[in-house]
Amino acid sequence: MNYVLHLLIMIGIYLILSYGLNLVVGFGGLLSLCHAVFYGIGAYTGTLLMIKAGLPFLPAIFLGMVITGLFALIVGLPALRFRGDSFVLVTLGFQMIVFTILYNWIDLTRGPYGIPGIPRPVIAGVEVTELYQYFILVSLFLVVIVAILFVVCRSPFGLALKALRDDEMAAEGLGKSPVHLFLYAFVISGMVASLAGGLYATYVTYIDPTSFTLDESIFLLAILLVGGTGNMIGPLVGTVFMILLPEALRFLGLPDTVAPNVRQMIYGLTLITLMFLRPQGIAGEFKLR
Amino acid sequence: MILLSQLLLNALVNAAIFSLLAVGFGLIYRSMRFFYIAYGAVYVIASYAVVAAMQISGFPLYLSIGAGVFLGVLAGVLMDRTVYLPLERSGATPGVLLIASLGLYILAVNAVALIFGNEVKILSRGIEPSFSLGPLVITRMQVIQFLVGWILVTGFWLIIRKNTLMKGIWAMGETPNLVTALGLPCGLMRLLVFALSSVFAGVASLVTALDVGIDPHVGMHALLIGAVAVIVGGVDVYWGWIGGASLLALLQGMAVWQFSSRWNDLITFGILIITLLFRPQGLFSPRKRREER
Repeated sequence: MNYVLHLLIMIGIYLILSYGLNLVVGFGGLLSLCHAVFYGIGAYTGTLLMIKAGLPFLPAIFLGMVITGLFALIVGLPALRFRGDSFVLVTLGFQMIVFTILYNWIDLTRGPYGIPGIPRPVIAGVEVTELYQYFILVSLFLVVIVAILFVVCRSPFGLALKALRDDEMAAEGLGKSPVHLFLYAFVISGMVASLAGGLYATYVTYIDPTSFTLDESIFLLAILLVGGTGNMIGPLVGTVFMILLPEALRFLGLPDTVAPNVRQMIYGLTLITLMFLRPQGIAGEFKLR
Repeated sequence: MILLSQLLLNALVNAAIFSLLAVGFGLIYRSMRFFYIAYGAVYVIASYAVVAAMQISGFPLYLSIGAGVFLGVLAGVLMDRTVYLPLERSGATPGVLLIASLGLYILAVNAVALIFGNEVKILSRGIEPSFSLGPLVITRMQVIQFLVGWILVTGFWLIIRKNTLMKGIWAMGETPNLVTALGLPCGLMRLLVFALSSVFAGVASLVTALDVGIDPHVGMHALLIGAVAVIVGGVDVYWGWIGGASLLALLQGMAVWQFSSRWNDLITFGILIITLLFRPQGLFSPRKRREER
């Protein structure tokens, strides 16, 4: 039972991440490789605000989201001047730079030693320690985020993003500014990732920079590419597939030394196969360009 | 001052390796116009082929090196034939090629890790002999890296400078349709580009692996160095790639001098972002006319 709950919690956290990224990748049509940065900054700011500034859980998380949002603004301003390969490269560059900083700014982040003993969230006087409580907490946040994103995606803003994705010049001709709209999408996506980071940090109670590497960014992008983007079902399919696949392999009885490599090979093969057969992912509506 | 000179010397050696990586990546990026992530996989496969040949089959070193480069080339060409070529024929977009390439990289590197393990494999035994140049020290392996790198890069330029086929390959990056219309051997050129790119990746990989060993996950790093060098230097100029690679090596050396090698990635990707922002055509590329862009 605990095992199932743990899986559900992880799926919840990754759903928040992938729905956030969906706004940029699916609705904006931009392949971003720095989502793990926002996830990581959210985890670190949330944690440091709780440990060093002594803030309670909710204010720390929300302040973390604001800080991450500002950071997403700083990254987005230069990055969104590019499209295609260049955008991928610039976001990848920020991913590497932030990871280097998280890893080497030892005074603030304790670098490779990580931050242990992160306090559990306390909400309305109740300390969330049990797994089922955690599941409820993550589900609540997930429902709120999905509801907000659902509205955002149906709103004129979401439709304008889609228009920009499909034909930037035509949409611009209709008065939709790519600079502003993509930037809003990027910042919202960063803030949502930050929330997931805060939840992850307090759930695992230990963070170190290796959870927020380029590989993690690639993994998050792969979730969307496998599941599909541009609607609300794709990220769900992708997250469930990508999180449950390693667990399924565990039941096949693969030894622990080879399991991670086999898992990665399946991810790689899935990506190649999908590019041949369904470039929009299993349940997506947006075809990669 | 001695420290600075030593670091500059090391930077020259690194520049040779980075240049090899840049030329390998640049060849594909310039002529095919897609982002060849699986380049990192070729890099890894070449060195592991040497590991297999030397430590498992007991081949002598020189034969193993040949086997490594050959298998690297084979891997590069096979990836093209099985994935890129069919995808391009079906009219794939750059985004699709990028992701397929990423998938290939993940698949190949983890297959290597599955066979050989995730840990570092050491290829050379014992202590490397070193030479002193006054107060400076250079190891034998560094001399080899320096010579192999610079000779290959310069020699290649001398060969391709006046070569029609190479001019065709260059033209392929600008107007691929015209190349077919002119009756140039497109298939052969494609094969040649992938093979040559793999040779450069393989050689860079081997001279590095013989010095510090190899693990399956360094491929991404090698790819990124090559890609950043090409983009910083300028995609359209051969010596721009080399210039970009040398600049990276030099700045990384300076970073070691002033701070520590831990901050190398910050330098590499900082330069990348600054270049893309302020001089997107690359530092050593001539300014393009407006209608050419």
